[in-house]
Amino acid sequence: MTHTKLYTVIFAVLFVSATVQVLVEFAELAYWTAFGIIIVLSVIKAVLVAAYFQHLRFEPRSLTYVVLIGLAAALALTLAASYSIL
Amino acid sequence: MTDEDPTDRNAGDSREGADANFDGRKAPNVDSDSRETPNAVNRESLNVDSGRELPDGGSLDGEAADGGTVTGNEIPVQGAVSDALTAATHPSRSTVRHWLTTTNHKDVGILYIVTSLFFLLLGGLLAWLMRIQLWEPRAVGEGLLGAMAYNQAVSAHGLVMVFWFLSPFAFGFANYVVPLQMGADDLAFPRLNALSFWLYLASGLLFVVSFFQGGTFAGGWTMYAPLNLPTFTPDVGANTAILALVLFVVSVTVSSVNFLTTMHRMRAEGLTLRRLPIFSWSILLTVWMMLFAFAALLAALLILSSDRILGTAYFVQETAGGTLLWTHLFWFFGHPEVYIVFFPALGIMAEVFQTFTGRRIVGRKWFIAAMVLVALQSFVVWMHHMFLTGINLEIKTLFMVTTIGISLPFDLMVFALIYTLVKGRVRFTTPFLFAFGGLLLFILGGITGVFLGAIVLDYEFRGTYWVVAHFHYVMVGGVTALIGGLYYWFPKITGRMYDEFLGKAHFAAYFVGFNLLYFPMFVAWETPRRVFQYDAWMAPWHKLATVGAFILGLSFVLMFYNLTKSAFDGERVGNTPWEFSRTAEWAVPSPPPTENFPGVPTYRDGHLAFRSREATDGGSSATSTQPDGGVAADGHAGEHDHGTHASIWPFAVSVGGFLLFLGLSGIREGSLVEGMAGTAYLLAAVAGGLVVFGSLVAWALEPFDSPEGGFGEAWPFDGVENGKVGMWIFLASDVVLFGGFIGAYVFTRVAAGWTGWHPVPEDPIPGLVNTYILLASSFTVVLALVAAQKEHRWGVVASLTATIVLGIGFLGNKGLEWLHLFHTGVEPTATIQTSTFFLTTGLHAAHVIAGLIGALYLLGRSLGGAYLSDHRPVEYFGLYWHFVDIVWLFLFPLFYIL
Repeated sequence: MTHTKLYTVIFAVLFVSATVQVLVEFAELAYWTAFGIIIVLSVIKAVLVAAYFQHLRFEPRSLTYVVLIGLAAALALTLAASYSIL
Repeated sequence: MTDEDPTDRNAGDSREGADANFDGRKAPNVDSDSRETPNAVNRESLNVDSGRELPDGGSLDGEAADGGTVTGNEIPVQGAVSDALTAATHPSRSTVRHWLTTTNHKDVGILYIVTSLFFLLLGGLLAWLMRIQLWEPRAVGEGLLGAMAYNQAVSAHGLVMVFWFLSPFAFGFANYVVPLQMGADDLAFPRLNALSFWLYLASGLLFVVSFFQGGTFAGGWTMYAPLNLPTFTPDVGANTAILALVLFVVSVTVSSVNFLTTMHRMRAEGLTLRRLPIFSWSILLTVWMMLFAFAALLAALLILSSDRILGTAYFVQETAGGTLLWTHLFWFFGHPEVYIVFFPALGIMAEVFQTFTGRRIVGRKWFIAAMVLVALQSFVVWMHHMFLTGINLEIKTLFMVTTIGISLPFDLMVFALIYTLVKGRVRFTTPFLFAFGGLLLFILGGITGVFLGAIVLDYEFRGTYWVVAHFHYVMVGGVTALIGGLYYWFPKITGRMYDEFLGKAHFAAYFVGFNLLYFPMFVAWETPRRVFQYDAWMAPWHKLATVGAFILGLSFVLMFYNLTKSAFDGERVGNTPWEFSRTAEWAVPSPPPTENFPGVPTYRDGHLAFRSREATDGGSSATSTQPDGGVAADGHAGEHDHGTHASIWPFAVSVGGFLLFLGLSGIREGSLVEGMAGTAYLLAAVAGGLVVFGSLVAWALEPFDSPEGGFGEAWPFDGVENGKVGMWIFLASDVVLFGGFIGAYVFTRVAAGWTGWHPVPEDPIPGLVNTYILLASSFTVVLALVAAQKEHRWGVVASLTATIVLGIGFLGNKGLEWLHLFHTGVEPTATIQTSTFFLTTGLHAAHVIAGLIGALYLLGRSLGGAYLSDHRPVEYFGLYWHFVDIVWLFLFPLFYIL
């Protein structure tokens, strides 16, 4: 039962932080400040889903690394390519 | 195995001299007077525990059936015994049906090898056409080929050789040999393996069809933008060629997931990665590179297909976002691809050198470390293909450094190979000659490549025959070693020996032809690439090259004659025809029996031995918890295992895929081609889609026991069952696919000016609502898993139903949003902003739809009470569904808010 409770709490956190993202946008903050907050919130949500809904927290760490390697490749492509035309 | 003490098992892991295949490091005694029998390997390194049970319950060797140890004797594997074994388990090997339904890795390997050789002939024929055209410098309209026909020949030659010959040829060996080398009965997902092959064949045939649809793709194998757009390559066949590549990448992805799961999860006890034979190592690293590199190519190809078929506006942009976007995406794949095609050749060189010098490779550990380094570095050198584009000088300099850096581990490997020759005693057999020739050619190809890695020199060399000569020395140098592999494993695959004299004659003609063909290109390097006009003074060199091309091509007649003839009446071989062959594939009969091994292979005592299947798993249908905590339904079940392991559905899915993609090729920028042809394309697409769908459902319902892992070494996935590992590996490649799409968006937006770009939907609220819906659906999937774990049938049904309703709600909401946008004139084809919005969120929606189909299937089964005792399918579905959720968590801010 505790597990179900934990999942429910996480669901609530996800729900709220998605709302916050839109509120941040409506709050008329400086663009890059808002950008930072919104992206960080997205990362937090993603980590929560991966850690608990996909229960990576309770799996051997190697599974996490496999996904992180893919993420590193995608980020390398995106960042280096974008930098190359700056 | 259940009663094994895991610590006992692991005790062997730390043993020094970790190469399981080499008992002791001493060079085998190769003095001629000590060469007694060709079965040296068995006598030196093979113990056979207990009676080797045949599938029919009989025993190969009565004396050993009591569990005694056979040591110091050759295994009786000759002729009659191995034939009886084959006949018992392959009753219909000569029928077409067997080959359409087989899922056995050895059969699939043979299919790969034969099919890829067919594409070698096709690619070679195209090369001949080019070489005939290049006999002398010609004006447009002169000679055999017109300008556009020549462009097609150049492009198709490159695509066919790189995609449909080189890698699949190597993967024929990988399929056949790797499971044998690592002690597995088969790959982790045998039906997916068959699917990989059939999709590969379907994609290849689709490419062949493209020649007959007005002409195939003519924009070069690199498919640079904007030549890859319908404005410049308008033929239906050009669409087909690109869709064929998409289908090919699907095949590669399926194969990568399968190999990675197998190689990490299903190694024999004691066969740690440190001890893995070097060919298997090369394949392991190749597959890791494939997993990520091909995902980036898939992103590039899907965006290109969308530009061509739907009319989105990615590559028509005149800012850097257009053509440079393609080069980034393509070369992010393209450079690792160089090593993807070369690594298996490197592995074969090392393997063949070991066997025919009678010596373990010098610095084996360092050799492997160097390969690992190259595999990593291969992802950070791609911009050296872009030195003449408008990217900035800082990044060019950085990539020049990384490029020079990647040549260093190669130096180490080359010297290790050379030093192995020096230390060992070489026997000049055909496989050795090809492997050695491959090394020489690669050295020349590698050195000439270093020139291209220097920015200043590249300004001069780019677009010339220097490049052509360089990469042919590298790539066809690799082919040379692969041909060596074909001769090396031919006796294993067919059970018969090829003719050594003809083999050597083949090598002589091949090597002479190769150098006559490619070396003059270095001399006549000023010839512009991809066209048939050049300065007249270079004509003699090109004539020489054309002569070389024919010698090289015709040398294969010797090979085909030799191998075909020998396959039927060559001299029979036992376990191994080679002295000092040390890897496990040579410790079993040639060809190996269906289930590969006479018992469960183990390296626990530092050498290969087989333990009785009965003793280890207590019956073939038992499910047991393995020492590593994984659940295994008898990894090495014997008799009925593969006899019933036939499935027609991989073939059927591929037929459907072929029709579907053929149908899609008939659409250009949103509308079907005109007339009857358009209707035919539409029908093909619909029929193909239905066949794919129906076959997948039938596939899911078909009872099929895949071999499970966890019976031996499973680092680093101990305790995670195969299905879950496979799902995660697939998701990692999907991360790169979405990464490619999101990266394309970010790159385009940076090119256009980040802050000057506004989200397409003016209102973020529909997006927010969809975020809520998707998060809620993830939650219900979690509840479904909890209910399944509690064996609460209606909880599972209710949660899955809720998930499906929410998923449909997500799509419905998105549909309304899109319709609204369409009505206000915002369409995918309008601008680059709308293109990125609709295509990226569209790819995500496609993932949602695929997930919903899966959920519907689960719901149907759960109504009947499925998943209560085994909730893994619900769990795996959840992993996928949550991943799709996570992607949305980034798409929402990127496309709706920021």
